[in-house]
Amino acid sequence: MSKEHRNTIKVVDCQVLAHYKYEGDQYIITLASDVIANETKPGQFVHISVSDALPMRRPISVMSVDKENATFDLLYKVVGKGTQQLSERKIGEVLSVIGPIGNGFTMTDKKRPLLIGGGVGMPPMVAIAQSIKDSDYHPFAILGSEVPFPFDAQVASNGKDYQGATHTMPEFEDWNIECRLASLQNYEGSFKGYVTDLAKVYLDGLSAEELAQVEVYSCGPHPMLEAVAKLAKQYNLPCQVSLEENMACAVGGCAGCVVEVQTDNGPAMKRVCVDGPVFDATTVF
Amino acid sequence: MHNNLKTQFCGLELDSPIVLLSGCVGFGEEYTRIEGFSNTDVGAICLKGTTLEPRLGNIPSRVTETPEGMINAIGLQNPGTDIVINEIMPKLDKKETRFIINISGSSIEEYGEIAKRFDDSDIDAIEINISCPNVKEGGVAFGNDPDMSYRVVEICRKNTTKPLITKLSPNQTNIALNAQRCIDAGTDGLAVINTLMGMSIDTKTRRPVIGNNQGGLSGAAIKPVALLKVHQVYQVSKKYNVPIIGQGGIMTANDAIEFIIAGASTVGIGTALFYDPLVCPKINDGISQYLIDHQLNSIDDLIGTLELNSAISQCDIGSK
Ligand SMILES: Cc1cc2nc3c(=O)[nH]c(=O)nc-3n(C[C@H](O)[C@H](O)[C@H](O)COP(=O)(O)OP(=O)(O)OC[C@H]3O[C@@H](n4cnc5c(N)ncnc54)[C@H](O)[C@@H]3O)c2cc1C
Ligand SMILES: Cc1cc2nc3c(=O)[nH]c(=O)nc-3n(C[C@H](O)[C@H](O)[C@H](O)COP(=O)(O)O)c2cc1C
Ligand code: FES
Repeated sequence: MSKEHRNTIKVVDCQVLAHYKYEGDQYIITLASDVIANETKPGQFVHISVSDALPMRRPISVMSVDKENATFDLLYKVVGKGTQQLSERKIGEVLSVIGPIGNGFTMTDKKRPLLIGGGVGMPPMVAIAQSIKDSDYHPFAILGSEVPFPFDAQVASNGKDYQGATHTMPEFEDWNIECRLASLQNYEGSFKGYVTDLAKVYLDGLSAEELAQVEVYSCGPHPMLEAVAKLAKQYNLPCQVSLEENMACAVGGCAGCVVEVQTDNGPAMKRVCVDGPVFDATTVF
Repeated sequence: MHNNLKTQFCGLELDSPIVLLSGCVGFGEEYTRIEGFSNTDVGAICLKGTTLEPRLGNIPSRVTETPEGMINAIGLQNPGTDIVINEIMPKLDKKETRFIINISGSSIEEYGEIAKRFDDSDIDAIEINISCPNVKEGGVAFGNDPDMSYRVVEICRKNTTKPLITKLSPNQTNIALNAQRCIDAGTDGLAVINTLMGMSIDTKTRRPVIGNNQGGLSGAAIKPVALLKVHQVYQVSKKYNVPIIGQGGIMTANDAIEFIIAGASTVGIGTALFYDPLVCPKINDGISQYLIDHQLNSIDDLIGTLELNSAISQCDIGSK
């Protein structure tokens, strides 16, 4: 029998190398691990022990990796006890991490990926951008947030203004990838509105030929993903979404993390941890 | 594997007293995704609760952390008996460990039918789940009534010559009586205990966190309860040499040893894997070392060796 799945997920002790707090209870933590830095694909996540007091692990997406220095970054928001405990971990402490987990996003032959990330759904979009920065893809990224962005937004160097959206995330600028920000708040250089509204502005500016090359990749709160899926349908674009559910094992053993997915044989309950977290939007919305 | 951990359970030769618990390890291959995890580190694996027909299970959320434990309400999601037998079991590597199917029916006849189908398969043993708290029909409804438990075990016994293990619920008044009835009906072994019923409420929404509203509590929080139940059941089962898979909150080798002293022949690991997927070899090492340190040749020499205190109440002491 095929045993390809075996030994694909590692258990590693990772030292905290940096830990920054941003407005809106957001944090970026840098952890040391050769394995996670080198083996993680965009959209995969780690299952992380946040403290001895709370033995159940918490799933967090890998935002970016530094293969040379064997480190990886996570962006998370404090929403409860687990993320609170994580925010209290200090530089030098060691955390047990299981990863990389999940199917991740599939990069297809559509050369114009449209990346849409909302809130702490931004990390997988950053991960995709990093992985295709030196390729023949022409991505466009939209990051949305209703709390201040966890980075210093800067003016995009190509100078393009998408109805008020002029600013970008510095990493995207370094990677030469076009990115704009959206928010209902009045953040400088951000599009005022939903990520999907900014996506429309971008898509409507494309030629029919260019539009045929677009595939949507998205991660964020459920209502946002639903709106993104609807938009993709309107424009007849393929769309991959990354989902979240409470997890226990994160290796497929407990069936605790399922979502309902439509298959050729009717509805099925698929595990977000190993069957996902990325699903074809048409099967879940 | 340590030689002193080899043991016999319901006629099966096990390399370790560790049994991976139903519902925590899918259909036997899931945890092998983890580098360093091996099915050869455990004596047996109980596969996910299986019903006659496929089941989609409960709506999310299905799991949530609680103090020193967790609540789950999976609702027996499984592909049904025939798919398990024809598509999943052939892929299991029988050389690595023993495999036990965990079965659930919505009627007594259905339990009998599932047992019959697995009797024709090459599964090593059948565990009857009359203690699932997360399904409307069957499950704990059978397990809380000793006469119903008897009838479920009886029909399975008629339909299979494989070793039969009956998994008892802690959510009942007299677990020892129930154990007695299951032994009378012909069970070869007992699994003690399944999860305790519990609830968790989100104060922001004033709704239960779990989609199914309530669920089964597992993990360290239930260990003291489980230990007492094993002790109580052992008082009955030892008379018939019916062995017990002790389970409920075992996290460490020391926890496992407590269960063996209380009367368990083997020890179940479930929730502990979610915290540390590499916990099994650590527990094996710890038990083996304990046996050496206490000059015991095997697990058999430790089972049920509990010495009770002479139970004088405070009031008795005061009067002396
Ligand atoms: C594959 C995956 C990737 C993720 N990536 C990130 C990430 O990059 N950054 C980030 O900040 N968060 C991410 N999450 C969400 C994160 O796991 C949860 O926020 C975290 O587990 C909450 O734990 P807690 O103890 O702090 O909150 P709890 O006390 O458990 O819950 C607080 C609130 O958060 C909700 N919640 C709990 N768990 C989840 C969950 N898994 N998803 C959504 N809501 C949840 C609860 O319903 C509750 O309302 C990801 C989740 C998954 C499944
Ligand atoms: C997620 C989950 C799913 C479970 N599913 C089943 C099941 O299908 N059948 C069953 O008999 N017990 C099931 N159980 C109960 C366990 O097998 C075990 O008896 C219980 O969790 C106590 O052990 P623990 O504290 O070591 O986890 C499940 C437990 C959990 C946590
Ligand atoms: S978390 Fe256990 S199956 Fe996904």
